[in-house]
Amino acid sequence: MKNLILSLCACVSFSTLAQKNIDPTAEDISKAKSLREQYSKDDVAILESTDAVNFDYNSSADKITVSIKTNEHLMNINHRADIHKYEFYDSESSIENFKVKFRNEKDASFYVKDEPYKDDDLFYNDARVKYTSIDFPVQGYTYFYELNKKYNDIKYCTTFYFQDEFPVLKKKIVFTVPKWLDIELKEFNFAGFDIKKNITDTDGSTIYTFTLENAPAYFKEKDSPGRTYLYPHIMILTKSYAKGSKAGTLFKTHEDLYKWYASLVKLMQNEPEKLREKVTELTAKAKTDEEKIKNIYYWVQDNIRYIAFEDGIAGFKPDEAQNVFEKRYGDCKGMANLIKQMLVLAGFDARLTWIGTKHIAYDYKTPSLAVDNHMICTLFYKGKRYFLDGTEKFCAFGEYAERIQNKEVMIEDGEKCILDKVPLGAAAANKEVFTANLSLEQEQLKGTCQRSFLGESREYFQNIYNHFESNKKKEMLDGYLAHQNKSIKVDQVKMSDINNREQKLTIDYSIDIANKVSSFDNEIYVDLDFMNEYKEFQLKDRKTDYEFDYKTLYESVITLKLPAGYKVTKLPESIAVKENNYEVNLTYAVENNVIVYKKSFLFKNAVLKASDFEQWRAVNKRVAESYNTQIILTK
Amino acid sequence: MKIKLLWAALLCNVFFVLGQSASEVRDEIWSASDPYKKANTVPEKWKNESAVIIYKHENYDYHKFGINVTYTSSIRKRILLLDQASVKEFSEFSYRDKFYSNKALGSFWRRGTNFIGVKIVKPDGKEVIIDTDKEAKEVDGEKKLAIPNLEIGDIIDYYFYSVEPFKSVYDYTFEAVETPLGDVYPTMNLKINLHTENDFFLNFNTYNGTPPLNQIDTGKSSDRLFELKAENIEKNEFPRWFYPLAEMPCYKFQVIFARSGKFEKLADGFLPESEKVVKKTISKEDIFEYYNKKFYPDGDLGVVNRYLKEKSFATEEEKVREIYYFCRHEFFTRYFEAFVVNEAKIMYPFAYYGTNPIFFRDEVPFVNYFMQFLKKQEISYDVIIATPRFNGSIDDLLIQQNVRKLIRVNTPKPIYIEYFNAYSGTDQVNYSIENSKAYVLEVSKGKRVTDVSNVTLPSSTYKDNVSRIKTKVDLVDFTGYKVQRDAAYFGHLKESEQDDKLQFYDFVYEDYNRYGTMKLMDYVRKEKDRKQYTNELDALIKKLKDKQNETYKSNVESEYEVKVDDYTFEIKNTGRYGKDNALEIHDGFTIANNYVKKAGDKYLLEIGRFLTSQIEIDKKEIERKNNIYMSFPRSFENEITFNIPEGYSVSGLEKLNKKVENETGGFVSTAEVKGNQLVIKTLKYYKNYFEPNANWNKMIQFLDAAYQFTQEKVLLKKN
Repeated sequence: MKNLILSLCACVSFSTLAQKNIDPTAEDISKAKSLREQYSKDDVAILESTDAVNFDYNSSADKITVSIKTNEHLMNINHRADIHKYEFYDSESSIENFKVKFRNEKDASFYVKDEPYKDDDLFYNDARVKYTSIDFPVQGYTYFYELNKKYNDIKYCTTFYFQDEFPVLKKKIVFTVPKWLDIELKEFNFAGFDIKKNITDTDGSTIYTFTLENAPAYFKEKDSPGRTYLYPHIMILTKSYAKGSKAGTLFKTHEDLYKWYASLVKLMQNEPEKLREKVTELTAKAKTDEEKIKNIYYWVQDNIRYIAFEDGIAGFKPDEAQNVFEKRYGDCKGMANLIKQMLVLAGFDARLTWIGTKHIAYDYKTPSLAVDNHMICTLFYKGKRYFLDGTEKFCAFGEYAERIQNKEVMIEDGEKCILDKVPLGAAAANKEVFTANLSLEQEQLKGTCQRSFLGESREYFQNIYNHFESNKKKEMLDGYLAHQNKSIKVDQVKMSDINNREQKLTIDYSIDIANKVSSFDNEIYVDLDFMNEYKEFQLKDRKTDYEFDYKTLYESVITLKLPAGYKVTKLPESIAVKENNYEVNLTYAVENNVIVYKKSFLFKNAVLKASDFEQWRAVNKRVAESYNTQIILTK
Repeated sequence: MKIKLLWAALLCNVFFVLGQSASEVRDEIWSASDPYKKANTVPEKWKNESAVIIYKHENYDYHKFGINVTYTSSIRKRILLLDQASVKEFSEFSYRDKFYSNKALGSFWRRGTNFIGVKIVKPDGKEVIIDTDKEAKEVDGEKKLAIPNLEIGDIIDYYFYSVEPFKSVYDYTFEAVETPLGDVYPTMNLKINLHTENDFFLNFNTYNGTPPLNQIDTGKSSDRLFELKAENIEKNEFPRWFYPLAEMPCYKFQVIFARSGKFEKLADGFLPESEKVVKKTISKEDIFEYYNKKFYPDGDLGVVNRYLKEKSFATEEEKVREIYYFCRHEFFTRYFEAFVVNEAKIMYPFAYYGTNPIFFRDEVPFVNYFMQFLKKQEISYDVIIATPRFNGSIDDLLIQQNVRKLIRVNTPKPIYIEYFNAYSGTDQVNYSIENSKAYVLEVSKGKRVTDVSNVTLPSSTYKDNVSRIKTKVDLVDFTGYKVQRDAAYFGHLKESEQDDKLQFYDFVYEDYNRYGTMKLMDYVRKEKDRKQYTNELDALIKKLKDKQNETYKSNVESEYEVKVDDYTFEIKNTGRYGKDNALEIHDGFTIANNYVKKAGDKYLLEIGRFLTSQIEIDKKEIERKNNIYMSFPRSFENEITFNIPEGYSVSGLEKLNKKVENETGGFVSTAEVKGNQLVIKTLKYYKNYFEPNANWNKMIQFLDAAYQFTQEKVLLKKN
């Protein structure tokens, strides 16, 4: 008989766990209970958190360094909490102290792990994470957390936030700015928050203290705007320094930022000759310049795999065009550079272009590395600028993805740069249409359907469809068209060219729907809405704006031929709603013995604002009621 | 002379372990004589596949020098990529160059080496060998390789070659390999090699139409090379209710290293009589040989005897059952609190149980302890050796680890008792071995195994394995529902629900009360500590209960396929003591804006939905080619009572009355109005463990009937 437990007994001392003065006091427990009432979804509250930010000058490297000392007091407000405390760093930063202490200030000695940061979207990156697991055994239990982090170069230290993944009762950020350093502490999203700002002067420094009380935790909702839109924060804009005999300009304007980016671009050693054969092949038979451009742009979309690298300076310097071409993979910068080099070889004016995607709220008025996160290529053609994004798949020339529309771009222009904006698109360009022409056979709805997709709805469909293995595509498509519903059978599916990005994508098929028609006595009840679009889109309890993948226009037209001898005695009520961010229309009519049921949903700005939600829920309820209302046919 | 030879051998061995370079490995696998070097085409029938494996070669090599064992394994695949999905699949690799073997203990750990090679063959036949060292990025020892210039229509030809040295002083049993012949893509050519030398014992067999393993003459008596070759293998597909190893072409093998006869006896497997022989089947004699000394009465019965004192039992069966449940607590669930407390870092609890607490870790101590108990009680018993049905028949047994050991108590109605889980009982044997052929190790005089015979283990019926759910449904505002359910589960359906639904606190305190044993906190003498730990455990339980509620709610939402609100639940009975003792759970919730359709001043109620979602057999499944393998026969009884609102009546009950029954099972439903209630009763049942494919259509008939029931509606109208 094995004795599993005995072997474990000898080596562990009891005393380490029976620490004194670490259990919560009666006041702590009472405080935790009242905080839990206030923050009912959170396990932990940060009672107090201070970031003390100091700047220094490293003369040997000619770099301004930043050190941040964070002190936090954490309290468990739920019955029990088990959390991770973590901090990221990379080749430009380091963590010099990471410690958790008990209430009695004794080191809790939790094991701190140091691992590479793994992200499914990044093939390789230099980010690492230090983290530890913290258990709070009872309500009111507290810990102190200390962190010292250092940036070797101020340009990589960009923003400071007041909030955390847990609610913060009091957050203080203190910047001690030496007089030799010219920085601006730019405030974002302060409106609506009672952030107190205090400025004091000492001999050599100016001290800026920002304080926010009772800040809720970060929202944990999907499809939200980026955090640069949602939360109050401070961006450090480092303009210049003059320390003794040393002086320099950092990012005073966007042109300074451009200069730094351009200096990295100059490090590239492109060998365009290695692309010539392919460029010739792509352009030789083209009848027009536009065809040449498209052939190059589409070839890159189709043949270069997106693999993301974030690796120190390589995170900012594009890979050489011939490398990307030969490897057939690259990140956004490598793809933009390849498109540029190929177009230039073909005789066009193409330039590298920096851009912050929709996820980022900033533009180049705030020159900082936080402004952009993406690179595309701008083509100057017949007096117009076209923006080419190699990371898109199935994106037609002249069409732009929602994530870059209306965003400011910084285009290379020799020693200077050009600021411009990607054009804003319209929802109509992404229109998706469903049509069904049905008749009644026994208690089945039978007929033909068509689905069509334009713009980003087309791209979205093409991306998903092409993701499936060849031998599974038919099954997946049939399942999609049948709404994964056993009562709906589709057949005779015909799709237009799935790889064509310049045409409307259409899918025609026949349909046979069971269980949507019920006959009682002399009446037939027809549930004509078998799609129930947006019925579950209730946004219940949601706090942040809902962002759509793209500006959405969905239209549906379903017709039903009346069976002989029947007339319509009841139709659901029509709905017509027109608001700033959305329009919903449901109409029913009988025309020449045919019921015509039209639906349209328009989300023209690709967003439902939090302020829209209350009204949207009321509209959604009406839509659900309409879906739940039967058409009645009577003999 | 002898010394010289020894040195020569030692040097050879060192060279073999340390000297193998990446280029040597590459030249060995992609040799100049590689017969697949120019194999670039695939059959027309597979042109619509995502990819086709042109050649797959697995190699397993076992060598030793004294206690130094070198296990070398490699896999090479040459694959034609036919779509974007397969290009993506092979566009990135992650691996480690170096690793530590886990095949030995403590200071015997040795460093292993992995070699990877990748080449691309373009459609024009041009070969490009990837410089993996140059292309790969490394973080903390893990390498990530993005394959350059990989396109649809290319062939990727890669290998992964692992050299794993370790030391084994006694014996070492390598992990068994049991796998279907196929891969995720169709395979044109497959070759598997095993290379062994003396002291390595090989069990290998092929099944269900797989070609046999052949021996290839190496010219050396201490050295053996085996080969399995197969061609034209369709890709693996695993449909619903399927045991791949029972039906698909497959192979199984296991290698055991044992340096001497003494260690051979200790080895954890059915060894062939000699290293020179490949063992293909396990005979009755092998079973006897391996197990006759493995089991013997053992264990301190003091605690059991104390429990038995002043207790009387009407029958031996009753006594055995009672002792089983007692031991399930005493040697198992009694420690659950401690494991939880330890895991939650509340304290280190194990020392409280004295210097020699008994916790049954696996089947062997369990069997030995009960042998001791039954021997002392002079109750006849035998040991049963069985294998789960998903491994195939016990006649095809090859791997010792696939065996389940249990005891048959030879009372007038035999009782089968098995190693515990928190919910196991004495009324049914584990469903995986039920109704299967097994061996009986016959025990003489309660002491020794003296013979082996065959037996078919008992089976259960759909009347034993029952889910019985009563659902009360009220209409709310004519737009939604209030639902109250009382569920009772029996037999094997009970076990799976218990495992899914119960948390430790739902049953350990029940056991403490039943047996008067001390809770963990009662052992803590210092009052201050006890108070602290109790508070912390209570806090943990409260947190777990909150999570349990969320999990239940989300399970209900999956069952009903809609969001629910106001969810509450209560476990009325844990059902852990015997066949007739059901797991009983009550829950309640509301459903808004679903399953009610307005039709003028009438309402269509989707009452069939309250059966909850049913299996939907789609077009692809209808065309199933395989036989049907299920865990156990089972039945699902439902009673749905709908309270008809005052002043209203329901019509259209005809469609709720269904009856499809055949030799595979059935679905039967009835609906009637009783007073102000619509009462619907349904029964869905599966009669058998196994159905031949010819019966699949019959199963579909009742499965479709159950699905169709969920779609049925009744009309609610004013009187």
